[in-house]
Amino acid sequence: MNQTTLEIKNMTKNYKSETVLNELSFQLQQGEILSIVGPSGSGKTTLLRVLAGLEEPTNGSIFMYGEEITKQKANKRDISLVFQQPLLFPHMTVMENIVYGAKISKKYKKEKTDALLTAIGMGKYQDHFPSEISGGQQQRTALARAMATEPEVILFDEPFSSLDPSLRQDLRYWVRNFLVKQKTTAIFVTHDMEEAMIMGDKIAVFTEGQFQQIGKAKTLQESPANLLVASFMGGNLILSEEEYISLQEITLSPPTDRKADRIYEATLLHVTYQHARPIAHLHIHSLDEKVSLPLQHEDELQENVTIYIPDSEVRRFHEEGR
Amino acid sequence: MRSRKISFSIIACVFFVFPMILLLLQSVSSPWRFQSEDGFTWQWTSYQKLLQDPMLWEATLTSIVIGYAVLVINFIIGLFTGKALVSSPYKGKAWVEAILLSPILLPVLAIAMGLHLLMIRIGLADTLIGVILLHLVPTVPYSIKIFYNGYNQTGPAMMEQSNILGAGFWTQIFTVELPLLRPAIRSLTFLTIVISLSQYAITAIIGGGRILTLPLVFFPYMENANTSLMAAFSIWFAVIPVTMYIVIELLILLLPYSRLPWRNHR
Amino acid sequence: MKLFRNKILLLPAFVFLALPFYGFMTAIVQSLGNEEPLSHYWDLLDSDRFLASIAFSIRTAGIATILSIAIGLLLIRSFYKILVQLSPRLRVWIPMLFPHFVWGYMVILLLGESGIFSQIAVVSGWMESQADFPIWTRDRYGIGIIITYVWKEVPLVILLLLPVYSSIRPEYYALVDTLGGNGWNRFTTVELPHLLPVLVESFLIIFSFSLTAYEVPALIGTTFPEMISVLGYEWFYGSSWDDRPLAFASMVSISIFLLILTIIGYTFLNRTRLKAMRGGK
Repeated sequence: MNQTTLEIKNMTKNYKSETVLNELSFQLQQGEILSIVGPSGSGKTTLLRVLAGLEEPTNGSIFMYGEEITKQKANKRDISLVFQQPLLFPHMTVMENIVYGAKISKKYKKEKTDALLTAIGMGKYQDHFPSEISGGQQQRTALARAMATEPEVILFDEPFSSLDPSLRQDLRYWVRNFLVKQKTTAIFVTHDMEEAMIMGDKIAVFTEGQFQQIGKAKTLQESPANLLVASFMGGNLILSEEEYISLQEITLSPPTDRKADRIYEATLLHVTYQHARPIAHLHIHSLDEKVSLPLQHEDELQENVTIYIPDSEVRRFHEEGR
Repeated sequence: MRSRKISFSIIACVFFVFPMILLLLQSVSSPWRFQSEDGFTWQWTSYQKLLQDPMLWEATLTSIVIGYAVLVINFIIGLFTGKALVSSPYKGKAWVEAILLSPILLPVLAIAMGLHLLMIRIGLADTLIGVILLHLVPTVPYSIKIFYNGYNQTGPAMMEQSNILGAGFWTQIFTVELPLLRPAIRSLTFLTIVISLSQYAITAIIGGGRILTLPLVFFPYMENANTSLMAAFSIWFAVIPVTMYIVIELLILLLPYSRLPWRNHR
Repeated sequence: MKLFRNKILLLPAFVFLALPFYGFMTAIVQSLGNEEPLSHYWDLLDSDRFLASIAFSIRTAGIATILSIAIGLLLIRSFYKILVQLSPRLRVWIPMLFPHFVWGYMVILLLGESGIFSQIAVVSGWMESQADFPIWTRDRYGIGIIITYVWKEVPLVILLLLPVYSSIRPEYYALVDTLGGNGWNRFTTVELPHLLPVLVESFLIIFSFSLTAYEVPALIGTTFPEMISVLGYEWFYGSSWDDRPLAFASMVSISIFLLILTIIGYTFLNRTRLKAMRGGK
């Protein structure tokens, strides 16, 4: 049976009159990787800083294996944080950087740091200074340094955003495999849904200081809890506060096999091509929404188009899934 | 670029290197009288005379003690203040900074005159401690500025990173901050010692002539010493801070993660 | 908790501040005296010696400061690429190794009436005798004082401006060039916004120092006109105890003058247009 590693209860954080974290509660099982995804400025970083102990919550408590650690200082917590920037110590070599935290936390074993160095593929560079290695290598070293302190939980604050796209792609899978292999519990913060899906076992959609929904990618896509989740996931047309429809069910000509109960007028803004198929970008007047639909037939290309929506496919948000 | 390098070399040599060499040459030569064809005549007596003066040794020792004491206090105040300023989010930081730096703009002579009575009352007039305290006035604002700049360059994130990895207050200072602040420590050492060695008026006022530092010996020397002896004394004024600086440089080598100079990557 | 620790860390600095502020307050109290308020200040205004001294001091310190900044700026603009290397920088900083008054002695050795230059002038046949050599030290015009200060402060100006120049991104020069700007545009649009705060600050630091420091004018200045610091020191230590309040009053007046100058400097820097030039900070 899985053990609960980290538990947050009713956590609130205010800056002056602004509420950044609003009554947040969640649990993290041992070895679980949770992706937290949300638009920038939604307070994700603040959440990580509070968890790491760099900032105090205004209210609420943090438990690790059932023990309260809310008042524990950052340097005493078994939680490590990998920042957006690698922040390697410029006056230490790669090896010294990795060993640093381990020695301070009195968990230093040479075999272990050597193994970490090999695991991140930096054995050849162990005596190099941070200024002498690439951005990707720096970020890997930062990860190894965080791992070397043997934290119960590692927090990642958009660790790949300062890297170029191709490197980012590689590093994502590498870090994911690494964390799974080491059975590390981790929280991974990003604003990129794709990255969140690659990195996390579960995904938490975080906006306005709250989790809108926590679940697997499939659940979030198929039964979003509310319109915030649905619009963040994409692929849906939001019809009202309660209703939405998957874009796959929308047609540009009257469906032959079923009744189209709702009809909307839309303007064609632009046509682009994706995987060799034309995509129509439409503006729906009455909903004031923009959608992108794959075109079935080229003859659907008119300036004004009609959208057909079958009632049977319209879904309601699963508020209880929150 | 090449012609620029040449013109720089000429300017640097004429205006900055040449005067020091001139002082050096004059200190090991009899006073020059070119018109009576007394050019460079080697002699060593100016240094002998200088170093035989017991007042000089007393003053040198006093100056070194004062210099190091001023340096240590500056170091502590500068370090703590720089750290506090860089990691504080609160507004009004600009005001705190301005107030801390403002003593630079007040005449140190006015402050010394004002503190004179207080020093007499609390028994610190004519004492080493009184002089050390006064020497803080023209130095501490610079130290705060230097350390604040140093911490700003390192950035608060680097300090948080070390905190996350488990370092406490002092571990953090010794393993990360001080090694990264080395350039700041060097400037501070140098500036503090030279400024302290430059104080004649305030040392005379608070020390009451009882505390004999190098400037207090230098000024009367002007009256009756010959040029060679004065030149030797001037050189002595550069030897003291350089020696004191080398000692500090050796201490900096003791900081964690110091590389031996030949394995220095940055 | 964090804020708390920060305040503790600021404590030593604020304890230190008690020294200059207490000293300055005492100076003000002493300058007011026991008689009718401001009487010592009226005495100052009646004293020709004081008025001559203050005019001479402001003029001398002003010329020295402006020259130091102009020459320092010129040197760093011409040789920035060379000065980023360590050894040229160390060469320029040699004068900073010596106390001001030692450098003052160096100026006497070089430019005094029987100094090296006057000897060379005579030997080379350029001048008849050393009496023909212009009086540049202990002179009525403060030339020796100005030379000493400029020589000592130019390296300081370079030290203060160097970080400014290394923080300017070279892309901005390229931008001005592509927009058709010339060398003057480069200076005013790229460099000046960065430089201005540091220039104002350097001016205030150097001016207040050269206006009020005692050592150099005591060594290389003359008795009339004299710098205000020398006059103040003399009044403080003079034969008559009655002159002490005048010493305090003169020092306080000069401080107030500097204070007003500082306020003007910072108000100038904070004008909205300049703020915007610095990126709205």
